[in-house]
Amino acid sequence: MNSKITGDTIISTKNISKTFSRDIKALEKVSLEVKQKEVVVIIGPSGSGKSTLLRCLNGLEEIDEGSITIDNTPLDGHHHNRLKIRTEVGMVFQNFNLFPHMTVGDNIRIGPRHVRKQNQAEADQITDELLKKVGIYDKIDAYPRQLSGGQQQRVAIARALAMNPLIMLFDEPTSALDPEMVGEVLEVMKDLAHEGMTMLVVTHEMGFAREVGDRIIFMDEGKIVEENSIDDFFDNPEEKRSKQFLSKILHNGGC
Amino acid sequence: MELIFRMNIFQSVSEKITKLHRHLNILKVRQPLFYETVKFLLFSTVIILIIAPGLKGLNYRWQWYRLPDYLLLKTKTGISAGPLLKGLSVTLFISVISLCLTVIIGFATALLRLSESITAVFISRVYLELIRNTPLLIQLFLMYFVISPILGIGRLPSAILALSLFEGAYTSEIIRSGIISIERGQWEAAHSLGLPKGLVYRLIILPQAFRQVLPMLASQAISLIKDSALVSTIAIYDLTMRGQVAISETFLTFEIWFTVAAVYLIINIALSQIIMIFERRLKKVDL
Ligand SMILES: Nc1ncnc2c1ncn2[C@@H]1O[C@H](COP(=O)(O)OP(=O)(O)OP(=O)(O)O)[C@@H](O)[C@H]1O
Ligand SMILES: [Mg+2]
Repeated sequence: MNSKITGDTIISTKNISKTFSRDIKALEKVSLEVKQKEVVVIIGPSGSGKSTLLRCLNGLEEIDEGSITIDNTPLDGHHHNRLKIRTEVGMVFQNFNLFPHMTVGDNIRIGPRHVRKQNQAEADQITDELLKKVGIYDKIDAYPRQLSGGQQQRVAIARALAMNPLIMLFDEPTSALDPEMVGEVLEVMKDLAHEGMTMLVVTHEMGFAREVGDRIIFMDEGKIVEENSIDDFFDNPEEKRSKQFLSKILHNGGC
Repeated sequence: MELIFRMNIFQSVSEKITKLHRHLNILKVRQPLFYETVKFLLFSTVIILIIAPGLKGLNYRWQWYRLPDYLLLKTKTGISAGPLLKGLSVTLFISVISLCLTVIIGFATALLRLSESITAVFISRVYLELIRNTPLLIQLFLMYFVISPILGIGRLPSAILALSLFEGAYTSEIIRSGIISIERGQWEAAHSLGLPKGLVYRLIILPQAFRQVLPMLASQAISLIKDSALVSTIAIYDLTMRGQVAISETFLTFEIWFTVAAVYLIINIALSQIIMIFERRLKKVDL
C-alpha cells in the first residue's frame, strides 16, 4: 500500500518532551519518523498533545528534551536553523489565522516576496496558480473577512503552499468549519496528498484518513499510544485505549 | 353617538400626530444639519442668558477692534504676521517636531518593554515610572535648568526634548497595548511562514496594532499640542507666551485669551477631523 513512499526520512523526532507550567506534560518522550510523501494522520482525545507535537515541529514551541531533525536540519537553538525549517514546513491552523489587513492575494504573496525573496512577477504568478488550484481565483482582491470559513481555510492552505514547502502540517483544519464547507477543504488536501506532499494531519475526519492516510498515530496524555496502518487501526486496533477512543468518535458520527 | 364622535376625533388627532411625526422624521433624516444648528443656537442662547448678568457686573470694556493688530501687522512694506500668529508658528514648529520624536520614542520604548531582555524591560520601566509620576512642568524645568547646560543645548531643543519624552511615555503604552491586543494566531501564522522577527512586526503586527490604537494616538497628539503651552514658562515665545505678553501691554485680557483658546481649538479640531477621515479610509480597506 505504501508503494509511493520510497524516499528518505524527512522528519525525525527522538524522545521529545514538552512540559508547560504547573507540570502539564504535553509531550512525553515522543519519537516519530516520517518519510517523504507520507500522509500521517494524528488522532487522540482533547489535550493529548497533538497540537503541541505539530507546533514543536516548526519551532513554534520549544522542546525541553530530545531532538528534532527536519530534512537533515536539526531544529536546535540556532535561530538560522529554525527559520530555515519554517520555510520548508507549511502550517495550517484550525482558525485559519489569515492576515485581516491584507487582501487574499497579499496574504499569499507575503511568503514568496519577503521570505523567498522572489520578484513581484514571480510572486504574482505563484499566487495566481495557487488560487486557481484551490478554486478561489476570483477572490484575489477580497479581504479575508469577506470570505466564508471554507474559502478562508483554502486561502490559508494556498498561503502555506506559496512557500513551496517540503512538508505540510494541518492542525484540525476543518474543525472550525460549518459542515457544508468541510468537503471543499478536504478536497484540496486530498489533491495535495495525491501529488505526493508529505503531510501530518490532526483530524477527526475518518473518511479522509481512510482515503489518503498512509499511517495513523493515536496519542493520549502526551504519548504515542498506537502507530498503525490505517486499515489495521480501524478494523483491528492493537491497544485498548485506541478501541475506546474509536468507539467514542464513531458513535458520535465521526465519520 | 357621542362615543363615536369622540373616537373620530381621537382617530383624526392621532393620525395628525403620526403625520407630523413622519414629517419631523423626514426633516430629521434629510436635514440633520438644520436640526443640529437649531439645537446649538438654543443651547448657546441659554448659556448666554445665564452668563450675561455676571458679565455686566464685571464692567469689562470689550475692544475687539484692537485685536487684528495682534494677528496681522500692517507695515509700510505690506502685511506680516502679528505676535499671535508668530507665536502660533512657534507652537506648530514645536508640536510637529515633538510629535515625530514622540512616535519614535514611543515605538522604541514599547519594543524595549516587550523584549525578552531584562535590562531593556528595566530601563523602559524606570523611564515610564519617572515620567508618569512627576508633573510635566517640573520635567520641563529640570530639562531646561539642569540637563540642558550639561548637554549644552538651547531653550527650544530642551523644550522639545522634555515634551517628547513626556508624551513618548504615554504613547509607548498606547503602542504596547495595540501590539499585545493582536491575537497569538497572527504571530504564529507569521512565524510559520519563516518571516524573521523584524518583518513579523513590520508587515503583520504593527499595521494591525496601528489601526487598533489610532484614535488613542490621535488624542495623544492633541494632548501634546495643548501641553506645549507649558513651554511658555521657560520663556519660549509660543502662542501662549505671545498672548501673555500682548495682554500685559494692552489689558485686552478677555479678547486675547479667547482668541488664543480659539486658535488651539481650531488646530485640534482640524487635526482630529483629518485623523477621522484617515481612520474611515483604513476601515474601508479591511471592511
Ligand atoms: N501555551 C500553553 N500553556 C500551557 N499549557 C498548554 C499550552 N498549550 C497547550 N497546553 C496544555 O498542553 C496539553 C496538550 O495540549 P494540546 O493543545 O497539544 O492538545 P491537543 O491534543 O491538541 O488537544 P485538542 O484536541 O483539544 O486541540 C493540554 O493539557 C494543554 O492544556
Ligand atoms: Mg489541538
